[in-house]
Amino acid sequence: MSTELFFVQLINGLQYGLLLFLIASGLTLVFGVMGILNLAHGSMYMVGAYLVWYFVAVTGSFTVAAILSAIIALGLGILIERVLIQRLYHRNHLDQVLLTIGMIFVFNSLQSILWGNDPYGVAVPEALSGAVPFTDNSSYPIYRIFAALICIGIAAALYFVVSKTRLGMLIRAGESNREMVEALGVNIKSLYTIVFAIGVMLAAISGIIAAPMRSIVPGMGESVLITCFVVVVIGGMGSIKGAFVGALLVGVISTFAAVLMPTMSNMVIYLFMILVLLVKPQGLFAK
Amino acid sequence: MIFEKRTERLFLAIFFIIALCIPLFLEANSFFVGKITTILILSVFVMSLDFLVGRVGLVTLGHALFYGLGGYLFVILTPEYEAVNFWIYALYVMGLSALVALIVGVVVLRTSGIYFIMITLAISQMAYYFFFDSLEFGGGDGLFIFMKPDTSIFGLSFLNLDNPTHFYYLSLLAVLITLVAIKIILRSRFGRIVEASRLNPERTEALGYNIFAFRLISYIIGSTLAAYAGLLFALQYGYVNPQFMTWEMSGTALVMSILGGMGTIYGAILGTITYEALLYLFEHMSEDWMLFMGGAIILMVLLLRKGLAGYLEKLLEK
Repeated sequence: MSTELFFVQLINGLQYGLLLFLIASGLTLVFGVMGILNLAHGSMYMVGAYLVWYFVAVTGSFTVAAILSAIIALGLGILIERVLIQRLYHRNHLDQVLLTIGMIFVFNSLQSILWGNDPYGVAVPEALSGAVPFTDNSSYPIYRIFAALICIGIAAALYFVVSKTRLGMLIRAGESNREMVEALGVNIKSLYTIVFAIGVMLAAISGIIAAPMRSIVPGMGESVLITCFVVVVIGGMGSIKGAFVGALLVGVISTFAAVLMPTMSNMVIYLFMILVLLVKPQGLFAK
Repeated sequence: MIFEKRTERLFLAIFFIIALCIPLFLEANSFFVGKITTILILSVFVMSLDFLVGRVGLVTLGHALFYGLGGYLFVILTPEYEAVNFWIYALYVMGLSALVALIVGVVVLRTSGIYFIMITLAISQMAYYFFFDSLEFGGGDGLFIFMKPDTSIFGLSFLNLDNPTHFYYLSLLAVLITLVAIKIILRSRFGRIVEASRLNPERTEALGYNIFAFRLISYIIGSTLAAYAGLLFALQYGYVNPQFMTWEMSGTALVMSILGGMGTIYGAILGTITYEALLYLFEHMSEDWMLFMGGAIILMVLLLRKGLAGYLEKLLEK
């Protein structure tokens, strides 16, 4: 592998890793704070991608479509938490798994009813099309760099919110002792609603950002969901820092595996996850 | 009596009477005999999962690994154009699956809780991609069974696997044996210790039991039963492919077992029949059957906390 190819693949891997982080951050946030394992998280990613495709077709502007989609996702998150998830806080993981599997069925079905089963694509916004020259005979698409920057920006914002604001303080307090936070007069119910809705919105934003880079197809949620599980398990369930490290590792490893050993590239990240769990059964950044 | 509850005895009596009579009323080659055979085979798979999840306390999301493995091992072990003895090769398949379960078990049982769910998922995904990306095992198309095995014992042949009615009864026998075997295991000293280690692992360990070993043996038993179910399924349809091993397959089995009533074992049969019946109904009602199926699953979680078996017991056990 030439140095040039190596760097292109490294950047590809990091960029994919950042996108994975954005999806996985919502999953791990919801698990860490609320103890809810949301198998329908991948469906929210799918919803984001389909919504942005739909609104781009209607409004013609990617920016407007992206904002509308994110707001709808936030509303959807509030709705789901209030109607369904709220009833599960005192149940075990098994019931959560089952309920969210049911949600996957519903979302996949709604997707096919509303938008059909044809694959779609979203054009890269005009301002971000084109590529920057990398070396003499290779270049890198501007949109991918933009996507990576957005992901870094959201990661930084998430870090800031969790570690520096009052909401973040409540989130961290809720993680370690729900009863105590409640006893101190905090409305934990609305805190949970907010956290779940943020989780859904993060997944949807990932779908929005991914839409111009990937094709929008039925079942896109499930494939990304399993990869996200690998990410959060490697990092340690509930740890946002862990999700960040895990996502970059998985992004880079799977990108290089696809180049170096194409016949077994799909297996490599699972193998990596198993190795990590053998050394650290609770993930790299276990609480 | 290994069947302790009245509801359980009642359900099983009705189930076996109806199941024994079904071939008398339906055309042997009809769609329904095939469909019901599949449901019986799936019941074996779901019972083995119910044993692991509900009784041993090992919530696995990768059980389909062994379902697929049963089929793959059979095709790989048998010569392509020669009928082998079913019973001998079923033993080979189960023995090898037990060996795989031993190795996988040693790895996955190091973790617990949510990490156990995830690591079982990861290992089954690995196996899925291993078969999916392999050329020698047929990739995504899988492998085909060209010769149905012969089922004679000491030269006496009374079963013909090409005959749908015979295959139906073979599957029903598998349900009976699995049910009784799991029940006997649970009643035994071994089963009591396994359940104790689910309910209170610290105390069981303090009593001097090596709970890792008990869980490992249970994992091997559950996985081997799943492999037998997979073998039957592959024989019924004449092929095996990576779709046998998807996490959706594991997830669906989990849904069936919870729908029936987790840990009740007989509930696994009830759950499998109900799920398949609902699926059949919704698929014929509307193109958007997934919407109804998803809605049904969600309602069930919210309303039937102990599954159908729990609901029946509440009605009948007073």
